[in-house]
Amino acid sequence: MVWQFLLAAVLGGLCYLDRTAACQLMLHRPLVVATLMGAIFGNLAAGAQVGVVLELFYLARLPVGASIPPDDTGAAVFGGSAAAVASSSIGLDVASFTGLLLLSFVAAEAGKVADRFVRKVNVRIARLTAESVDRGDLQAVEHGLLAGLTLFVVTGAVLSLVFAGAGVAVSKQLLPLFGPDSRMDFAVLLPALPLLGAASVYSCSRTERTAAVFFLTMAAVFGATVFFRWAG
Amino acid sequence: MPAITTRSRRAVWRRQFLLQGCWNYEGMQNVGFAYAILPALREFYANRPEEALKAVKRHLEFFNTQPAMGSVILGASVRLEERVAAGEADVRAIGTFKVGLMGSLGAIGDSFFWGALRPMASVAGVLLAMLHPLLGIGALLFFYNTAHLTLRRRGFAAGMEGPEGAVDWLKREALNIRTDDRKMLAAILGGAYAGLFAGRFAGHEGGPLHALAWLLLAAAAVNLFTVLFRKAVSPSEILSFLLFIGVLILWR
Repeated sequence: MVWQFLLAAVLGGLCYLDRTAACQLMLHRPLVVATLMGAIFGNLAAGAQVGVVLELFYLARLPVGASIPPDDTGAAVFGGSAAAVASSSIGLDVASFTGLLLLSFVAAEAGKVADRFVRKVNVRIARLTAESVDRGDLQAVEHGLLAGLTLFVVTGAVLSLVFAGAGVAVSKQLLPLFGPDSRMDFAVLLPALPLLGAASVYSCSRTERTAAVFFLTMAAVFGATVFFRWAG
Repeated sequence: MPAITTRSRRAVWRRQFLLQGCWNYEGMQNVGFAYAILPALREFYANRPEEALKAVKRHLEFFNTQPAMGSVILGASVRLEERVAAGEADVRAIGTFKVGLMGSLGAIGDSFFWGALRPMASVAGVLLAMLHPLLGIGALLFFYNTAHLTLRRRGFAAGMEGPEGAVDWLKREALNIRTDDRKMLAAILGGAYAGLFAGRFAGHEGGPLHALAWLLLAAAAVNLFTVLFRKAVSPSEILSFLLFIGVLILWR
């Protein structure tokens, strides 16, 4: 399992780099990261299942100005690794799935704290860069940026390691403590979770024109889904 | 006039992707901006180290905008620096231009990229991921990055035509209309996502009235969450509340 954690740390670090410091190509999105973690820990499909729900949770929290949104990349590292491990041990039943999604907020908030810390350390790097430029060292700009990038990627790798470890521990140690019957009670909360994601999309896209469109589409797709289930 | 070489222009273009490489609370994207424009400055002030230092210091001042929209300001700043180095423009024009545009471009970019394009690409990816995870990931990356990389490329090219070119390009692109279109698409796809999951959970039992009750309950839940988001309640707080209920259920 050591190589799996190493791979999770390296690829997680790269995904974290895409989150703020470089490119923003959306490689850090929960759908991508959770699927990746699922593949690393042995079940791509289980990771993707978590990613499908996690992807939309935090969309309404925009990275505007100095505000830092919750770390949905971290939540995906936790959820993807936990789901893959659970699927190969106790089985990823509906209740375990719900529990993992609910617990993922801890990773999201912890990652946000780490992100704030990195940006505070970067203040010192930026000041040192400016001081070096004052002394006539133009290359300090390149060194300063490299230092900032390194800090982002190392923090990302450490966070990935910690969240993947937490995911594996939860799946191997915590979930088996509850029997299948008591766990199933937990599943009653599952319908709320995709609707929370849908509300995030609705919040982002809400205008006078789109409100009616959202609910009309929802009703139409709901009707079609229920109809085909009845017909099937 | 010291025109920029293709090599330096390409270097600046590549470096724009690291605009937030040293994002910090004080100068925000200042180090990233200075890093991105450095190849051009080295060329313009090749035999004038004192002026090169002054130019770098200019770009180490506070700067923050939406990262993809930064390409427009970066391109225009390269052109302005070129004019300053040739003695054709006042050095203060650079600061005035950057400060004048970063706020408005930040607002336009945040609204387009984070408020419309990303939700649209995310929900499209999620819906397709239900068919196959890799299809969903491919769709998310494709829908987001075709618009993202095109705007970066066009914005940088427009900026390189000078501040006037940048402003003209912004008018031509009509990002406010594009934002509305992406929001409409996101609303349609988001509604489909909500309907699909609500339909899945509606269960086999019960007749049309039961199904209608489920639909109304799901729509009310979406509305409730939206109201909570508007009141600055974080999704994490909602999840922790649901987890608390879950623990109570387990206790029972």
